[in-house]
Amino acid sequence: MSTKFVNTLPELIQNQIISKDTALRIERYFESKEANTSNKLFVVFGVLGSLLIGSGIILLFAHNWDYLPKMIKTVLAFIPLVIGQLLVGFSIFKKKSQIWKEASGVFLFFGVGAAIALIGQIYNVPGSLKGYLLTWIALCLPLVYLLKSKVLAILHLVFATYYACLVGYFESAQIPWMYLVMLVGLLPFYYNVIKNEVASNGFSLLNWLFPLSLTITFGAFIEVSSSILYLIYILFFGLLYNIGQLPYLKILKLRQNGYLAMGSFGVVVTLLLASFYRYWSGDFNYEYYKVSSFYVPILLIILTVVILVYSYIKDSLKPFNLFRYVFVLYLIIFIVNSYYATVGLVLINFLILGLGIATVKVGVDKSHFGILNYGLLIITALISFRFFDTDMSFVIRGLLFITIGVGFFSTNYFMLKKQKSNHNKSLNN
Amino acid sequence: MKTIYLFILFVVLALIQLSVPATMVFNNQSVLNSGTAYKFKTRPIDPTDPFRGKYITLSFDMNKAKTTDTIWENNSDIYVYLKTDSLGYAAVKTVSPFKINTDDDFVIAQTYGYYQKSNIIKFMLPFKRFYMEESKAYPAEVAYRKASRQALVNNTYALVYVKNGYSVLEDVFINDVPIGTYVDLQKSPD
Repeated sequence: MSTKFVNTLPELIQNQIISKDTALRIERYFESKEANTSNKLFVVFGVLGSLLIGSGIILLFAHNWDYLPKMIKTVLAFIPLVIGQLLVGFSIFKKKSQIWKEASGVFLFFGVGAAIALIGQIYNVPGSLKGYLLTWIALCLPLVYLLKSKVLAILHLVFATYYACLVGYFESAQIPWMYLVMLVGLLPFYYNVIKNEVASNGFSLLNWLFPLSLTITFGAFIEVSSSILYLIYILFFGLLYNIGQLPYLKILKLRQNGYLAMGSFGVVVTLLLASFYRYWSGDFNYEYYKVSSFYVPILLIILTVVILVYSYIKDSLKPFNLFRYVFVLYLIIFIVNSYYATVGLVLINFLILGLGIATVKVGVDKSHFGILNYGLLIITALISFRFFDTDMSFVIRGLLFITIGVGFFSTNYFMLKKQKSNHNKSLNN
Repeated sequence: MKTIYLFILFVVLALIQLSVPATMVFNNQSVLNSGTAYKFKTRPIDPTDPFRGKYITLSFDMNKAKTTDTIWENNSDIYVYLKTDSLGYAAVKTVSPFKINTDDDFVIAQTYGYYQKSNIIKFMLPFKRFYMEESKAYPAEVAYRKASRQALVNNTYALVYVKNGYSVLEDVFINDVPIGTYVDLQKSPD
């Protein structure tokens, strides 16, 4: 794209559209930009190389070369670790570029993992995968700070999530408290990235991986019956959404803000699931409730309220956004529901409809097709779901679907028209 | 100036990173060098660990004991004190929920079931993973089954060194042949 543009510069100068000076500046601008991109590419290749070599070494060790004497295997175990340490030490001491730091850091990360794995294998050290993973990532967490490495932060997050899944879901059904410790260990680094490196790709990735990791592992922290499960998940996704609306994150594009996207999507999906009648009929057996049924929702509500108050102080609550208050509305519905199940159910349906309409309005206001169609999808999903548990005649269902279809076309068409007229206006001005 | 601090911090971290596997080597080697060897009768099956490779899980014959204690919880530590039976295999001398004052060797196992009527406590010994070369783990399981069909008694055992409550699994034997070699012998046509 830029080369094509640079190639047209002589033509532009010839036709006196731009001056020679401007052409030179444009050329320099693209040159510097290209140097930057190739730099990023180097980081990606460097990290990918280390990642592959590191995991390759672990796999080679996992083969278990049983004809090698114990002594040689033990020495072998330390080699990748020591090489990784020398490389990292060199890049710190010689103040090497970030490429060096990221690549050597990733190699050392796997060096540590390989060493513990092989020693464990040689001596048949008892101990499950989860203990091994925890030792590994705890030993490598300081590297994230020493090297200021976003790739190591991402690796840390991925392995911590794996650990939490092993503890919470696969190997046992315990609460993975150490996962929270590992997560908190990463927060100062993350905060620093939010403050100083908003433009980096690593930042966008972390913005998706943090909420994703939390969403995956959240289930391991709760042990409740299904009706309160929806409440807890709506509180959880409401919290994610509100985090995404914090002043630092609000200014980001949607593709950089995983909190907002996952929070919003999570709220809608959970609400849709909770809008089925069968989930509200006779599921209120208070005997099933464990301690986590109380402290988890209370903690989530407190955190959300703190964020809302903070946003209010920072004056970032405006314009009004229904998604931010879904947790309160659902809480009210939840309480109403335990007394009048039908009323609560009707209210949930209205809440989803309200969210759909509000999203469509935001889409129209911002002239954003993605948001507009997301809003329309919410409404469509609501109506489609209601077909499963109501006895509407086929004619009415058919007509409703046609109406939504027409709605889709017309709103998109009108918005396209609006955008075109705005475009023309700005050109005329 | 800042770099040198960073570098010193890294050197400290590097030493900690080295110390973990080094301590593992030191502790385990010390048990192997100066611990007492016990033979635990066992049965192997083969699963996989994504980082440490193929291993066989050992299910030991010695997995329960009579007890006079009554307050047992599942998944808690149990001190299993050892003796050698008339055939030379490890056997339980006594069990206790806490350390007792005796010179007998012991291993720390995990409880998983207490039967009040019969006063039996069931436990899992800690050294239940034996890592093997990846092509040998499953054949080892098959070899064990074959060997146990041919013999009247279970002739597969794990050789474990025990010292001050620490235990290191050295090898697994079928008919007194190391299981890795046993698998090789089964493969070769002689």
